[in-house]
Amino acid sequence: MTREPVVVAEDLRRSYGDTVALDGVSLTVEAGEVFGLVGPNGAGKTTLVRALTGTTSVEGRVRVFGDPPAEGDRSRVGLLPQEFAPAGRLTVRELLAYYAGLYDEARPVDAVLDDVGLADTADTWYEELSGGQRRRACVGAALVNDPDLLFLDEPTTGIDPAGRRAVWGLVESLSADGTAVVLTSHSMTEIERLSDRVGLLRDGGLVAVGPPGGLVADHAGPARLVVEPADGTEPSATGGDGAQGDDGTTALADALREAGFTVTVGDGEVAVEAVAPTEIGAAVDGLDAAGVDYDALTWTEPGLEDAYLRLTGEAFEGLRQPGASVVDDPTDADPGGHGGTGGGNTGEGGGDETTEVEA
Amino acid sequence: MSRLRRVRAEATAATRSFLRRRTAVFFTFFFPVILVVIFGALVRTRPGGGGLFAAPAAYYVPGYLATVVLFTPLSRIGSEIARHRDDSRFEKLATTPLTRGEWLAAHTLVNLGVISVASLLILGLVVGLTGATLPVAPALALLVPFVALAVVLFCGFGAILGRVADSQDGVIAASNTIALPLLFLSDTFLTPSLLPEWFANAALVSPLTYFARGVRTVTFSPTGTDLPAPPLGTTGNLAVLAALAAVFFAVGAVAVPRTE
Repeated sequence: MTREPVVVAEDLRRSYGDTVALDGVSLTVEAGEVFGLVGPNGAGKTTLVRALTGTTSVEGRVRVFGDPPAEGDRSRVGLLPQEFAPAGRLTVRELLAYYAGLYDEARPVDAVLDDVGLADTADTWYEELSGGQRRRACVGAALVNDPDLLFLDEPTTGIDPAGRRAVWGLVESLSADGTAVVLTSHSMTEIERLSDRVGLLRDGGLVAVGPPGGLVADHAGPARLVVEPADGTEPSATGGDGAQGDDGTTALADALREAGFTVTVGDGEVAVEAVAPTEIGAAVDGLDAAGVDYDALTWTEPGLEDAYLRLTGEAFEGLRQPGASVVDDPTDADPGGHGGTGGGNTGEGGGDETTEVEA
Repeated sequence: MSRLRRVRAEATAATRSFLRRRTAVFFTFFFPVILVVIFGALVRTRPGGGGLFAAPAAYYVPGYLATVVLFTPLSRIGSEIARHRDDSRFEKLATTPLTRGEWLAAHTLVNLGVISVASLLILGLVVGLTGATLPVAPALALLVPFVALAVVLFCGFGAILGRVADSQDGVIAASNTIALPLLFLSDTFLTPSLLPEWFANAALVSPLTYFARGVRTVTFSPTGTDLPAPPLGTTGNLAVLAALAAVFFAVGAVAVPRTE
């Protein structure tokens, strides 16, 4: 027997004047699943959360526990809105007791205070808390009814690292107990750590949905090794033939090329794409053998943020990757990207200040 | 019990929030006090001498009570709704079992408590400063339902204002604009003889008229004056006020925002 997902959304659409906030979004969330929602500012994340909680009207179909969200059992849902500010002159304890009082059955306030790490400031007015403590109190307010479905819209904004980890632990614990969580955040670390699946919104549409690992594998591009020349040479644009290598990059590029790597050069750095961790030693050996000095050698494994940047078209143009640093259409993103054969290191369409040297 | 539990939780939180805003508390009570002091003690009542305060002092009791019964719910409920909306509190509450009617009921109870205290203060000041004499009779107890129903009515009105206005500033401006003419043109401070004849019918449009006339039936006797007895009497005014309170509360409950 298959159970209906906790949340079912089909073809959701919503516009504000000429601005399209949701453009045919469909998704499901299962019990015990953490569904991460990411996207640029204005992509439609908060509108989507409001649609799923029934606090805004949308075209399309939404079901939460089988009912329209505004008509279902509200005692099973918890919500932390994005810009939520409760009454300032209630203590944290009073605040949680207030929200607990709105439900027939609620968790003990002291337990919630412990969960969000505010037991020591329980008798402090909300308005006298720090920004991070306030947000934790708001998270607590979303948890008082022990919800089966929890919407957290940027729950850790302004929270310090320790507090953030406490909230993460809470989400993991709730999920393990069967609570479905819809989590929006701009922290890719948070989304990658907590989410079972991630939905990436752009311009009101879901452009990708999948497990974080799958999104990274499909969209984030290859691992990169970046080598910075030794100090004393000014970064400068180098020609494609590497003839003007007085900033030190040409010597580095030649050494790595000699060691069998495909390299790109730009902005005073040399990058090698699609380098496995086991190949780093070979690169170091190649540089040592050539007697080339360098200041730093950085290996970067692509993460969800890289996938996000590519899929949202917001790729950072630092060391420009020819042909793939900006992905205008997510369907054009090359999910492979290994060894100079795809994913942005083929040299096609690259910037003027870059060069690629085939090994 | 669930409903009571939710209303109690909301009312308790709202009461605490209000009582801890000392400026709001001070001016909530200072406003009617200053009105009684200015009109009752400085301008003074001059029975039989003509002018604004020509009627006996007790005639103006409904007017003084109307200041808190009218202004306080309009501005407090309206601005509370604006504040809730600005802070996404309704968005949060929409996912809880608390209904809009329960929210309004809870905040109406808080206003009822505040206004009851303010009304007692006003009655004391009116008697003490203006020399008004209130008839000590069982009928005086009818002040309680009159005040309660008017509070319910204007809390509903305040909810409608809060929904329509798009900011706290807008709510305050709108409530003042609406309340000020109602306060003076609803058979409160001005005797009917001071207004054009045709205005007698216009005053019937104001809900406050039924509060003022009803309260006057239990706080003032026109015997020995040339003032007419209030139309509809105690029961009639109470019935009209109850009906209007029900309508305004229902519309106000629907007006409480649930969405963005």
